[in-house]
Amino acid sequence: MVKHTGRTDSFNAFEALLDAVVDAIIIIDHRGTVQRFNRAAQGMFGYTEPEMLGVNVNQLMPEPYRSEHDIYLDRYRETGTTAIIGTGREVAGLKKDGRTFPMFLSVGEIRREGESHFVGIIKDLSDVRDTQEKVRQLEEQLLHADRLVILGELTAGIAHEISQPLTAIAAYADAGRSILERDAELPVEDIRSICERIAGQSRRAAEVVQRLRKLVRSGTVSKARHDINQIIRNMLLLFEYEVKKTNTKLLFYPIESLQDLYVDEIHIQQIMVNLVKNSLDAIAQAGQQDGLVEIRIKKVGSDVLISVTDNGPGVDERHRKHLFESFFTTKPRGVGLGLSICKTIAGAHGGNLRYSRSSTGGSKFTLSLPLEFIG
Amino acid sequence: MRHEPMVCIVDDDEAIRESLRLLLYASGLRSCAYVSADEYLADRRPPEFECMLLDIRMPGTDGLELFRILQDKHLAFPVIFITGHGDIPLAVSAIKLGAFDFLTKPFREGELIEKVRSAIEYHQAARKHLVELQDIQARYDSCTPREQDVLRLLATGSTNKGIAETLGISSRTVEIHRAHVMSKMAADSLPALVRMMSLLESEEN
Repeated sequence: MVKHTGRTDSFNAFEALLDAVVDAIIIIDHRGTVQRFNRAAQGMFGYTEPEMLGVNVNQLMPEPYRSEHDIYLDRYRETGTTAIIGTGREVAGLKKDGRTFPMFLSVGEIRREGESHFVGIIKDLSDVRDTQEKVRQLEEQLLHADRLVILGELTAGIAHEISQPLTAIAAYADAGRSILERDAELPVEDIRSICERIAGQSRRAAEVVQRLRKLVRSGTVSKARHDINQIIRNMLLLFEYEVKKTNTKLLFYPIESLQDLYVDEIHIQQIMVNLVKNSLDAIAQAGQQDGLVEIRIKKVGSDVLISVTDNGPGVDERHRKHLFESFFTTKPRGVGLGLSICKTIAGAHGGNLRYSRSSTGGSKFTLSLPLEFIG
Repeated sequence: MRHEPMVCIVDDDEAIRESLRLLLYASGLRSCAYVSADEYLADRRPPEFECMLLDIRMPGTDGLELFRILQDKHLAFPVIFITGHGDIPLAVSAIKLGAFDFLTKPFREGELIEKVRSAIEYHQAARKHLVELQDIQARYDSCTPREQDVLRLLATGSTNKGIAETLGISSRTVEIHRAHVMSKMAADSLPALVRMMSLLESEEN
């Protein structure tokens, strides 16, 4: 017997390689029939190699990938072209027990004895996807927590906002009762008018509650087209009480032409609430009497720029590079998540958040959002 | 013709102004309203009202500032502050500064009308007292200096003889002065005279 040591050695090396590799390796002929099914593939899909030999590889894929695979092979046989060689794609795999899982497939071509064989290398993405999902959930929880912190800080204002319509309702009701006791004839007009006003004030209170619920909504991102002027106006309502209390001026210069942005309204409001609150806090901390916070919207190129400027003390030079870091704060009882979260949200919308010094020496934060971002 | 008493409302919230107006109307009280402290101060001839319902927190000049301005101007009407729950300490210090009372939103049933009526009563009594005092002062001023001397000594309990000795005049003269004094002061008895004089004196203090 002729000993083909060279071939035997490389053959053994090849077998050893197939066994050792962590990713699944499957070799198929031009019809899709499985020729080789390595150890990793066996573990990944739950079949032994004898079970898979001679079987069409599309058994390992759920629809629609299964039908697609047949189409790709057909196209190759007819035209000699394939799309997948050299690149890779994310597809789904189907295990023997019926479970599907995300996998990354890259394919190479082997020419053997004049025939085409394909080698598929498969990476199981299950863990990666799980981790990504966990990270996404944690991020959402963090954003939610930030909204709750903001809510806590605005509580006095919110209590006041609800207390006003409730006070009016109580007074109207008492008035109604008094009038009914006093008048021998039923004063229909008076009572009708009072009922209308009570209904109106109830709706006013309900609106405050509605705004609150939106603010603390937890859950996934939901983007839609919104008028940016309206988003800001709604947000400013939350600060009515604070502004009254401290006699700070809060001015809004809306953009003249309507600008619809494709954004998650709550997230954008979250950024704006954080920025306005920071400005008000800076002014209060510095004990300033003539506090002024201005919000302006401009369109620059294909972006919308929203700036929040205050005449507070501004951010110290030393702190400027830490400004958007998590847990960085100069407030006595601050947590310091606000700005880092704002920057993250801005990024998720394809935009950015920057700091600069205002012309009055205070802070100026500019949020830029692209007009045509479909994320 | 007597009008019902009027209450002045100063509050920046329209619903609160309106509902208070109706509540007062339902109890037979008239009202006038201002949207801010500044609007009230700018009004050169505000209507005559018996008491003021003043919101403690307003943009611009707030309630406490207005109260201090009113005190500086010696405007004498009772002020009832309207406060939110968080502002109770402010309201308490306002009372110490001389505010009549305060109410916390939302008002308990009947509480607002109760306090407003108290304030109106207080104000009316104070005004009556003031008028009486002015009246007594006028009468006193209409007495001659000698008559005033006699009046003062009478009020401290001196007898006619004692007064004659102190002033170095005859008893007969004292009697004449006494009759004039009782008539000018419209006092029907000595105790009444004493009371009038003590009122005048405490006012001087």
